[in-house]
Amino acid sequence: MNKQENKQAVKVKSNSPYKQYLLFGLLLLLIPALVKMGVIKYSFLTIIASILIYAIVALGVNLLVGYSGLVSLGTAGFMGMGTYLAAYFTSDLNLPFEISLVISVAVPMIIGVLTGLVSLRIEGYYLAIATLAISEILRKVFVEFDVVTNGFSGKDADYPKLLGTFELNRDSTFMLIVVILVAVMFITHNFINSYTGRALSTMRGSEAAAQAMGINIYRYRLLSFAVAVGYAALGGVLYIHFIKYTYPNAWTLLFSLNMLAVIIIGGVRSIPGTILGSFIVFGVPDLILKNLPVIGEIDGLAYVFNGVLIIIVILLYPAGLIQFWHNLKMKIAKGRKGKEGNNA
Amino acid sequence: MHNATHENKSMADNVVLKIDDLSIAFGGLKAVDALTFDIKEKEIFGLIGPNGAGKTTAFNCITQFYKPDRGIVQFRTNKGEVENLVGKKPHEIIRKGLVRTFQNVELIRELSVIDNVLVGSHIEFHASVLSQIFKLPKARKEEAKFRQQAEEVLRYMGLYDIKDQLVAGQPYGVLKKIELARTLMCEPKLIILDEPAAGLNDSETLALTAIIREIRDKYNCAILLVEHDMRFVTDLCDRICAISFGKLLAVGTPQEIQANEQVQTAYLGKGDE
Ligand SMILES: Nc1ncnc2c1ncn2[C@@H]1O[C@H](COP(=O)(O)OP(=O)(O)O)[C@@H](O)[C@H]1O
Ligand SMILES: [Mg+2]
Repeated sequence: MNKQENKQAVKVKSNSPYKQYLLFGLLLLLIPALVKMGVIKYSFLTIIASILIYAIVALGVNLLVGYSGLVSLGTAGFMGMGTYLAAYFTSDLNLPFEISLVISVAVPMIIGVLTGLVSLRIEGYYLAIATLAISEILRKVFVEFDVVTNGFSGKDADYPKLLGTFELNRDSTFMLIVVILVAVMFITHNFINSYTGRALSTMRGSEAAAQAMGINIYRYRLLSFAVAVGYAALGGVLYIHFIKYTYPNAWTLLFSLNMLAVIIIGGVRSIPGTILGSFIVFGVPDLILKNLPVIGEIDGLAYVFNGVLIIIVILLYPAGLIQFWHNLKMKIAKGRKGKEGNNA
Repeated sequence: MHNATHENKSMADNVVLKIDDLSIAFGGLKAVDALTFDIKEKEIFGLIGPNGAGKTTAFNCITQFYKPDRGIVQFRTNKGEVENLVGKKPHEIIRKGLVRTFQNVELIRELSVIDNVLVGSHIEFHASVLSQIFKLPKARKEEAKFRQQAEEVLRYMGLYDIKDQLVAGQPYGVLKKIELARTLMCEPKLIILDEPAAGLNDSETLALTAIIREIRDKYNCAILLVEHDMRFVTDLCDRICAISFGKLLAVGTPQEIQANEQVQTAYLGKGDE
């Protein structure tokens, strides 16, 4: 009996979540059809697409904060840079979507690495300060460098054209976002479960242990920050090709802080938690609260909601709201075991 | 005082670690003061001394967590070359074949027991990031190979049954064992253990004595350890170095150390430290 229980416990842990991710993606792919059928409001598709894009960005933030123990306050700047570059390459230069995508992700990553090279050498928390500065500089660039960015009026782009032939529309771009999100979930899962992922967790948990085991802390900090910037820029590219519009004030410190809120509320060190967090932080105010009578009228409702939620979560669910789900699963598993025991 | 080539010649063939004139001070406090000793291949070597004598500090100077003010740390690497470790970065040391544990157990609470042990073979992994995120054959093979090795080590240490549990919440004695297991993943030439028996009861301590001897034989490595428990040290060690206030008192066999007057004085009135 005991042995069996042990085996079950092990299995639950090592079960790969790919199937769950795929199922999640398939369900999301149904949404455009549900909108057509009138089950879901037309405007909700945009909100959900934004939530999914922000989830990609937040996965990078979680990699950084949850696994590497670093904090970036520049997520907005790097994501914004992704939007502007992609808009410039596809709208102004008429470059193919794929090439624009690669450059628009690579350039912010290079700038991220340069920021990291300077700030990560001594102490991890310098990164927060350096990224805050870089992000503000970038926003200034979005405003001032108007030959490329159009200044305060912002910049437009179209839905993507894949391989130079397939012009996507609103629905198929949504589907592209879903596919990329699921791919990013897969990749992130593999990454955190690789030796590199263990190295990141180790340097977060104990710098002494990391060094004694041959982990070059500086190098791994740089790597994880570069990846987080890459995710942010990828999110930016998807954003500009779905929302089709970017402007400087979308990329403020507040946005970067919201990204931290996503992982704190959803669950640090959890992929499903990150997705959940994105739905709560960016979804609940727009999808639910705004439609409520009286409450929906309050100005700055989203801030109040997120602020209060963070406090509640930190006090009651330090592992994030995804804990609810884990507890539920445990209860179900226990219930089953109890029944089996009774039968035997 | 010495030049490098001279030092290389001065290290006998069967010596794996030789520290010479090692010194470090914190403010006015000479935590390690002109410490000199050597460790032979496959030797189990004990470093003893009252609390605050500078044992941990000496370990930190050897493994380059602290930069010594003076002195050299010669080490015969796993490639058979003799190198001075002073000036190297802490993360470079394990690649030479020198691995350590910590007095205050440094494990990762959020990782499982086996994942913590796998961190010990970090330097043996070579798959690229791309190979890892797409789980290409190279990354997969590597991971499987070292996971199997980690399982063997865990079985050997009697930790196999808890391999998938989190480290957080494990009893202290188990943590000490996991940390020891982690050192066995990198084909070490010398393992440095800072108070490996702390927190263990009598029977566990006895078992640890046997395990450490076995490790020496199985992995063909030398072991340098700090321990307060005099019986543990005299039972286990081939030679012992006693220090007090950072200074060397005596080096010798357990019998010689026990008979040494200076050592007795240093320990007098300090109870059973
Ligand atoms: N990083 C440090 N800064 C200042 N003093 C230190 C530091 N590390 C150790 N010391 C001092 O050096 C002395 C030796 O400490 P330690 O090596 O830990 O002794 P032990 O022999 O018990 O391991 C102690 O007086 C301790 O306070
Ligand atoms: Mg000590």
